[in-house]
Amino acid sequence: MKTFASTVYLGFSMLIWASCGLAQAQQFPAKPMKLIVPFAPGGPNDILGRLVGQKLTEQWGQQVIVENRGGAGGTIGLEAAARLPKDGYGIAMGGTSNLAVAPSLYEKLSYDPVKDFTPVINVALVPYALAVNPTVPAKSVRELVPIAAKKAGYLSYGSSGMGSMSSLAAELFNAMAKSDVLHVPYKGTAPALTDVVSGQIDMMFADLSLIKPHAAVGKLRTVGVTSAKRVVSSPEIPTIAESGLPGYDISPWFGVVAPEGVPKAVVTRLNAAIASSLKSADVIQRLGALGYEPIGGSPEQFTATIKSDIGKYAKIVKTAGIKADL
Amino acid sequence: MGETFNSLMMGFSVAFQPEVLMYAFFGCIIGTLVGMMPGLGPLAGISLLLPATFGLNPIIAIVLLAGVYYGAMYGGSTTSILMRIPGEAASVMTCVDGYAMTQQGRAGPALAIAAIGSFFAGTFGVIGLMLMAPTLASFALRFGPPEYTALLLMGLFVLAYMSGGSMLKTLAMAVLGLLLGMIGIDVMSGYTRFSFDIVELGDGVGIVPVAVGLFGISEILLTAGQVDPPKVQQPTLRQLIPTKADLKLSVGPIMRGSLLGFMIGIIPGSAHIISSFVSYGIERRLSKHPERFGNGAIEGVAGPESANNAAATGAFVPMLALGIPTGPVTAVMLAAIMVHGILPGPMLIQQQPDLFWGFVASMYVGNVVLLVLNLPMVGLFVNLLRIPYAYLYPCILAFCILGCYSVSNSTMDVWIMLVMGGVGYVLRKFGYDLAPVALGLVLGPMLELSLRQSLAMSGGDYAIFVQRPIAVTMLVMGLILLGLALKPLIFKSKDWRSSVGLDKTID
Repeated sequence: MKTFASTVYLGFSMLIWASCGLAQAQQFPAKPMKLIVPFAPGGPNDILGRLVGQKLTEQWGQQVIVENRGGAGGTIGLEAAARLPKDGYGIAMGGTSNLAVAPSLYEKLSYDPVKDFTPVINVALVPYALAVNPTVPAKSVRELVPIAAKKAGYLSYGSSGMGSMSSLAAELFNAMAKSDVLHVPYKGTAPALTDVVSGQIDMMFADLSLIKPHAAVGKLRTVGVTSAKRVVSSPEIPTIAESGLPGYDISPWFGVVAPEGVPKAVVTRLNAAIASSLKSADVIQRLGALGYEPIGGSPEQFTATIKSDIGKYAKIVKTAGIKADL
Repeated sequence: MGETFNSLMMGFSVAFQPEVLMYAFFGCIIGTLVGMMPGLGPLAGISLLLPATFGLNPIIAIVLLAGVYYGAMYGGSTTSILMRIPGEAASVMTCVDGYAMTQQGRAGPALAIAAIGSFFAGTFGVIGLMLMAPTLASFALRFGPPEYTALLLMGLFVLAYMSGGSMLKTLAMAVLGLLLGMIGIDVMSGYTRFSFDIVELGDGVGIVPVAVGLFGISEILLTAGQVDPPKVQQPTLRQLIPTKADLKLSVGPIMRGSLLGFMIGIIPGSAHIISSFVSYGIERRLSKHPERFGNGAIEGVAGPESANNAAATGAFVPMLALGIPTGPVTAVMLAAIMVHGILPGPMLIQQQPDLFWGFVASMYVGNVVLLVLNLPMVGLFVNLLRIPYAYLYPCILAFCILGCYSVSNSTMDVWIMLVMGGVGYVLRKFGYDLAPVALGLVLGPMLELSLRQSLAMSGGDYAIFVQRPIAVTMLVMGLILLGLALKPLIFKSKDWRSSVGLDKTID
């Protein structure tokens, strides 16, 4: 009898507990939320993070406080995000650099991108492109490769620092084109791109949105986009893969992650809300103006992307022989 | 010329729209307040305000942020002069003579001259921006890493004229600054140096926490250690107004500072920070009484303050003419218009004429607003000094910690500030000047990066520095400066230090 009673008791309590969880998910969010942007204000991560925050606020009527926690290539902010309470009220905007590249780049990374986070949704692709100074006699990647491979150090490329996405894209180019384009690192994308415009250095991989205005007036020449498919907003620019380096693919994305252990129902709710806002006309228009491409999809799809990209960039980092510590 | 005039009139028609005018005014006020917060400078101010501009139209957004930017430049001088707390790197030099003037009961003239100098420099900068932006911008583009290296080297040579103490002590402090600058991730290799596994140190030691600690916190500690509490000041109205002699002494420094600041400001990179240091060095070199510097020379306030405001305006030249940010502040401002779907680039002036001319016109308006706002406020600000130190200093300490933390939500910055406060206290007890530490910390990382970038470009060949005309010219000028500084050592003649009795400490 005693065992029966306790079983019933246990059954009841489990029922109550389960319904509480369900109710919690339905009520979510019942208080203001926090979204960590692991970079300084102004970059694509910040723009996308604030857009997501604004859309969630509009849909749920709860304030989403965006907090910029920049530093160490976006890893300080993600470390803080991994330690947020596991209730879904704290989320972060991650990206290829700090979720997929960081594990193979930094030996002492303080978080595990797979184990410490619950992926929520992949938000947008921020297209990258290869730009050269117009004095470089190459109209396409096909013409550029022999020039770059002719002599070691004949051309130079700028990047926003060793181990950054722009340096990885260039090192992948070097490896696939069997060239030795000199690396000149800068502190950030803007100063590096400035020096490509002025001809101090010859080429650079950077956000297409930053290259475009200079290319429009002939100060830069865009020779190819880095993604496997052509970019929707600039279909006239060929991909690097189709113009001489088959298989070349660098597609930087930015997506929302929550700490590991957030209830599945809450993740689903967050995913649905952000996914629907990515389909709204004003978001499409705002992202389109910058050339960003909304991605969306399920948490499982995002998990798969993160996992496959971790493997992909591990290979690139190894081939290029890039090392960094933190 | 006629076309420029018409465009400017069009710009004023934008700037005088009630909404734009209101936001320009707001921006100036917020900026002044932010600048007055210890540890909060223009960058922190506009970064914190950036999200608020996303809902506004792009012209208003940029007018508001520009107002905050130069408002904060103005405001930064207030805390530097009254409390020896620099809001940002550019006001470090103002702390030295500005605070000395405050201690002599001459805070009023110092604040007034800072406001007048800033107004003149700001207006001079806007005129330069309006008339010559495209020409100047293409000149600025000729500055690559080698030219930058040469410019920064010249900045290092200024050290010789920077402090009133012995040369040995000055150099020791500069080396301390350079060493602090070594901390953090090496951009060239991706490896961290001297970070002792503290992730936050990977980004290096920021100049703001160091400057606030060295100058502000150390001052609070020194005051606390005095046997007799310093007398609370009771400034009279008469003491608030600069004398004729003050104005006469300041004219030259303001003009030179404006020109120098503007020229350095248009160069992409973060060199604008050194404009106030260089201006101070030049004024001291040119002065007939260099011994007054460090003890409340009004030229030491007028020059650097004009230089940093002119540099702030100069920074807009490449930003608007080419869509290229010159430093973190302009990068954030460009982001503010990018959010609205305007991709900044070389066509910005042609494609968005009302944005450019509205912005230029609003800067005229903003400068006048700041002058009108700040001159009458001098009296109010100075009255802060009436607060007994027992109440004033704990409040300042709290504000320092708040300000420092809020810049990047990092407790590490607060610790750096507090530790530097202790270090500054000890160093000042031993009679060291602290300004060279700040200059070293600012110059060190920039100089290292641009030197190594130059060598990466040339494949390790130092000839890159003599193959480029601008770099050669600046290096030669730097060498002449160095020669002048070394001359007394080699020929055993009397240095200006000893001739005015400054080098007594060397024995």
